[in-house]
Amino acid sequence: MENESRVEKESYVQHNCDHYKDHRYDDLEHRKYGDKEVDVCIVGMGAAGGVLIHELSKAGLEVVGIEAGPFWDPQTDFASDELHAYSLNWQDTRLSGGNDALKFGPNNSGRGVGGGTTHFTGVFYRFHESDFRVKSTDGVGEDWPISYQDLEPYYDKIENDIKVSGPKHFPWGPFNGPYPYPEREPISAWAQVFREGCEILGIRSSVPPLAILSAPFDGRPPCTNRGFCNEGCKPNAKFSTLIHHIPKAIQEGAEVITDSMVTRVLVDDDGTVSGVEFNHDGNYYQQKAKVVIISAFTVETPRLLLNSACSQYPDGLANSSGLVGKYIMPHSGHDVFAKFDQEMRLYKGTPVMACTQDFYETDPDNDFVRGYTLNAHGNRPVATAKILTADAGYWGKELREIMLNFNFYAQITMVGEVLPQKKNQVTLSEEKDEYGIPRPKITFSYCENDNKMIEHGVEKANQIFKARGGKPAFVAADTGHLLGGCRMGDDPTNSVVNGFCQSHDIPNLFICGASVFTTSGGANPTETIMAIAARTADYIADLGKKGEF
Amino acid sequence: MIERNTYYPDYDVLDQIEEWDPVTADAVLKRLGPFPALEFLTGDEEQRLRVICKHLVYDNRDDIFDWVIHFIDQTLADEKGEYQRSPDAPPEKILVREGLKAIDKLAQKLYGNDFLSIDVKEQFDILASLQVGKAASIPEWSTIPQKDLFDKLLVLTVAPYYSHPTIWSEIGYGGPAHPRGYYRIELGLADPWEAQRKDVTEKEEDNGE
Ligand SMILES: Cc1cc2nc3c(=O)[nH]c(=O)nc-3n(C[C@H](O)[C@H](O)[C@H](O)COP(=O)(O)OP(=O)(O)OC[C@H]3O[C@@H](n4cnc5c(N)ncnc54)[C@H](O)[C@@H]3O)c2cc1C
Ligand code: SF4
Repeated sequence: MENESRVEKESYVQHNCDHYKDHRYDDLEHRKYGDKEVDVCIVGMGAAGGVLIHELSKAGLEVVGIEAGPFWDPQTDFASDELHAYSLNWQDTRLSGGNDALKFGPNNSGRGVGGGTTHFTGVFYRFHESDFRVKSTDGVGEDWPISYQDLEPYYDKIENDIKVSGPKHFPWGPFNGPYPYPEREPISAWAQVFREGCEILGIRSSVPPLAILSAPFDGRPPCTNRGFCNEGCKPNAKFSTLIHHIPKAIQEGAEVITDSMVTRVLVDDDGTVSGVEFNHDGNYYQQKAKVVIISAFTVETPRLLLNSACSQYPDGLANSSGLVGKYIMPHSGHDVFAKFDQEMRLYKGTPVMACTQDFYETDPDNDFVRGYTLNAHGNRPVATAKILTADAGYWGKELREIMLNFNFYAQITMVGEVLPQKKNQVTLSEEKDEYGIPRPKITFSYCENDNKMIEHGVEKANQIFKARGGKPAFVAADTGHLLGGCRMGDDPTNSVVNGFCQSHDIPNLFICGASVFTTSGGANPTETIMAIAARTADYIADLGKKGEF
Repeated sequence: MIERNTYYPDYDVLDQIEEWDPVTADAVLKRLGPFPALEFLTGDEEQRLRVICKHLVYDNRDDIFDWVIHFIDQTLADEKGEYQRSPDAPPEKILVREGLKAIDKLAQKLYGNDFLSIDVKEQFDILASLQVGKAASIPEWSTIPQKDLFDKLLVLTVAPYYSHPTIWSEIGYGGPAHPRGYYRIELGLADPWEAQRKDVTEKEEDNGE
């Protein structure tokens, strides 16, 4: 068991064990499935992990979920404050390079039960049919091994399970509503001017579908418009797997271990996986399982697979294609700001309250393929100042003057499809983290198609503002979400998992979550992540019933 | 300094503190001090950093920078990690510590004096040159990338600065608003307790707009 790369316990950083100072989580002293080989072990309790553990335990399987971060209590751990919420993010340092180096932490990575869903904005779109076959229709990227129709019943299920609020008629894509709960209304000033600008230009707009309640459900109240969705919703109006799927899974018998970082996946002599090794408070433990699912997000999933290299799999697990960690994709997420004469008060309302997908599909008149969503976006002072400084380069007097006018700006954020490129990747660096695991190094650069699309999106956003009397003010290069790195496909030489998220190389190793995306689509991805997870859960439960593991 | 520093002279976000949940109220009130002794920064470093922070956000009220410095000190003292770092840059503790030394050396080279002793305009010029990676050449820049240093100092400053309740009041931000929430969110509406703008037209005019 001992491994030379491990560091001494004394040198451990306290960060990865528990969230309260001087408080120690002691569940490892009274484990439910401690020495037992369970049916399924899931690494990462985020969007995908939450759906998986709930569905699999409902199906009667013995499931253990292991999460690196804490089990948050919204009442004591969340504050309605931007700075305070930093601890909800994956803070550990990642090396980030390339021409368009990505930002992590609050930009895309959650930590703790709920993963990214504790601090996501709740915008809840389905992908369109074309998203799954961009190679066939547009000659770029790769086709998915599954189609929209494969996911349709799971989209229905997820929306209904968490009571997505949305319009009676959503104008784009294969599903036009109605949603289980009514759309959010009223909408904020900054969303109103967006919709009015669109109307003047003949662009269709809508209130988006949101994983945020418009009426009470399951003991949870509707949204109070306080706008802190990215800081963790204290009233529990916003869905997260922390407050929905995971407590329900525990009720069904699942065990959830927190503050425990999985450091490697264990491999048997026959080449199958037998469980995982994890670290809690400096000590190593093992959990044996018949099936292992890794749903640790786009960076940590390939990192764990690569770090689990062993004599049978010297290049890392599930990596015979050499594609573990390759083809990662953010969404281009440029933020476009305009100044109005009236107060927009960006801080009020759910952060996204209006959108258009009129530019979603490939348009032969454009000099690029694929497309994007535009979201009218609210914001708060720290995030706005960070966009202005780190992304747009303002400081000193100019920064101060813009911020004194904070209440007069409106914002539109683009969610643009980014084409998959092999050189955009997660690899292991030379530097080690507190567990002695190599830090991930992420390299990212846009391609020409991405840049042309960004130019188009920024121009459209400015046109919408101008039509409604806004003065274009500044544009900040930004990204949202992160996908890929273990993409799904039918061809084992060209993908890491099949359409059911089962690794081509090791049949009892599954990979689920943002990392299996073959292409990025042009819309916020989490509903698709959760629909894929629900479909994977059905598949695994079925294998279990057939006695295949 | 900017003379007219608010559209909302009568608004104080802290008037609403009774309406905030205790976790949030506690987190925000801690920003008013008093602050414990510095853990990471030395007295010398603190002095230089304070001036740089003031320039970066264009303000010079020391009580606000006591909080900014405390936040930076705590961030640098702690081992949690910095989300991301360029593969060419050292960890933030080293970046800031060595970066402050390099800034002093640059001031010596350009103006024959340490950073704190040169003119404010010269201090601003140095910061501006770092932002674009064009500061005069000294060997330190090979291990302390100028832009990484500038961006780090800027982000470490704006996050606490724009979390200070005095600044919230000035920009007319409603603050935590939990559990109360907002009811009047549409164009032209505000809840009665929110910041209300004074003399809209007058301000617009003397803003030159
Ligand atoms: C600010 C913000 C706003 C967003 N808004 C939206 C939105 O409006 N709509 C939308 O669709 N999407 C949004 N997203 C994206 C969304 O959060 C992600 O797409 C989603 O959470 C990814 O799901 P996942 O299951 O792949 O990973 P995650 O939800 O990130 O879960 C991964 C989990 O694995 C854990 N983990 C990682 N490594 C290990 C390990 N070695 N051992 C144990 N545990 C580990 C992590 O701590 C984490 O809890 C937003 C994201 C951010 C940051
Ligand atoms: S805006 Fe609504 S959903 Fe978002 S954090 Fe506030 S109450 Fe929760």
